[in-house]
Amino acid sequence: MIVDCNAYIGHYAFRRLHYNTGDGILQLMDRAGIDRACVSSAGAIMYRNSQAGNEELLEEIEPHRDRLIPFAVLNPTYAAWERDITWCKSVLGAKGLRLYPSYHMYKLSDFCCSEMIEAATELGMMISIPVRAEDSRQRHWLVQAPDVPLNDIAALVAGHPNARFIVLEGLGFRGSDLVRKADELPHNYWIEMSRPDPLFDKELQFVKDALGAERLVFGTGICFKYPEPALLRMKVLQATEDEKADIYAGNMLRLLGE
Amino acid sequence: MLIDSHAHIKYPGPAVGGGPGEPPPGSDEWAMDQAYVDAADVLGIDVLVCSCLTPKPATPEIFRTGNDRVLEAMEMWPGRIWMHTYVNPGHMREAIAELGRTRAAHDDVVGCKLYDDHVCSDPVCYPIVEKCIELGLVIVINQGHGTDMLFNKPHHRSDAGDIADLARRYPQAKLIADHIGGGGDWEWTCKTLAEVPNVYNEISGSGVDEGMLEMQLEYLGAERLLFACDMSMCAGMGKFDALPCSEEEKQKIGSDNFLRLCGRL
Repeated sequence: MIVDCNAYIGHYAFRRLHYNTGDGILQLMDRAGIDRACVSSAGAIMYRNSQAGNEELLEEIEPHRDRLIPFAVLNPTYAAWERDITWCKSVLGAKGLRLYPSYHMYKLSDFCCSEMIEAATELGMMISIPVRAEDSRQRHWLVQAPDVPLNDIAALVAGHPNARFIVLEGLGFRGSDLVRKADELPHNYWIEMSRPDPLFDKELQFVKDALGAERLVFGTGICFKYPEPALLRMKVLQATEDEKADIYAGNMLRLLGE
Repeated sequence: MLIDSHAHIKYPGPAVGGGPGEPPPGSDEWAMDQAYVDAADVLGIDVLVCSCLTPKPATPEIFRTGNDRVLEAMEMWPGRIWMHTYVNPGHMREAIAELGRTRAAHDDVVGCKLYDDHVCSDPVCYPIVEKCIELGLVIVINQGHGTDMLFNKPHHRSDAGDIADLARRYPQAKLIADHIGGGGDWEWTCKTLAEVPNVYNEISGSGVDEGMLEMQLEYLGAERLLFACDMSMCAGMGKFDALPCSEEEKQKIGSDNFLRLCGRL
């Protein structure tokens, strides 16, 4: 079984996405052999009112709840996020939040962010943080949204030991506190593996050996990205079959409470 | 046969540590290159076409040292390593001599690598291009079209527009635009090069955006695409796996197009 913890549907402001509907992403998942995926709204990244993206997401996933697991995108600096997060939990059925501090103009260390994380945790939702929405080398000329520093995430997980975090689209873990100071941090964060390579520079292998297979989760970045590179990374990663099964699905299913 | 048309050999000297793929200080000087060949073995890549990443600015002594290193690697891994000779066009006489020297040194020297020393459409590059045409070498150009204000574009980096200008000036030159997955706005690059028949795009780079390959196939066709990784091994190979085309077209992209460019098919 394969569960993709890093998937998106909807319109992205700066590039045409294909397979970006509920039906479309299932097509891509079938091509890649992915059984279930945690999806959030690509539109919500740039909407002023992210909640509108969550409402679009609901329409798309409703017929496919057996395979598409909703994650909400909310901005803690925007009006009425407290009301929206309740809707996201009770109506959308969101299992987690996705945070975009660089796009929504706040820092992970800001009080408003802390408040929203605590509220999400209270509702049983996990927190996923995409380090980037897309490669900085091709960002739209109007956008200045730096990648989220991994050490900022390390500080965040330390400050919220009861919350559960998934780091999406990260790279450069070797030098980050998430790996270097892993023993000092609560074991409340998981690393999604779609960018580090297990070959040549062997970063993915390094992360797996440093944190253990139980702290890695499978993700692709569809429909922003092709699923095949992530599948290939898993294929060539040096790990036992049991470890791979955990990375592909087991770890994420446990996080989902299944 | 699978040919990675964009690969590298490490410049000689002790590892500094910290760079991508770089082994810890004190490691065997060839450890990074061995790791590259090992990765190619795992992925089923038969040939790595390598240039040497040298310190910058590259004086003649530096680019000769780098090229000698690749020639040495070709002896260590015979048949696995082919070579793009790297030169700095700013040292024109020495660069032209270097192209002749390396071409005579080994049959598997198939190309010339132009990096960010000068934009490729700068007239300083013309004599290099003319020498490559004379020697039958392909010309591989590091390129990128960054769109975002945070993108720190090196002052002399070429983009697809510069490559198109050079290609139109020298229609008999065989040009390769580096890493569509590592050169910024790949839609801009693709559209700029669509109507320039003597430019080929290679698919390397860490970027694996869905739609990238479909657009290349639509605008350039399978006849003008090349497989490559540029050290992003699973990204490059994963894109090759994702190519939405026939097996026959994959064979063209995986090897035949490059072999034809080199006069080997």
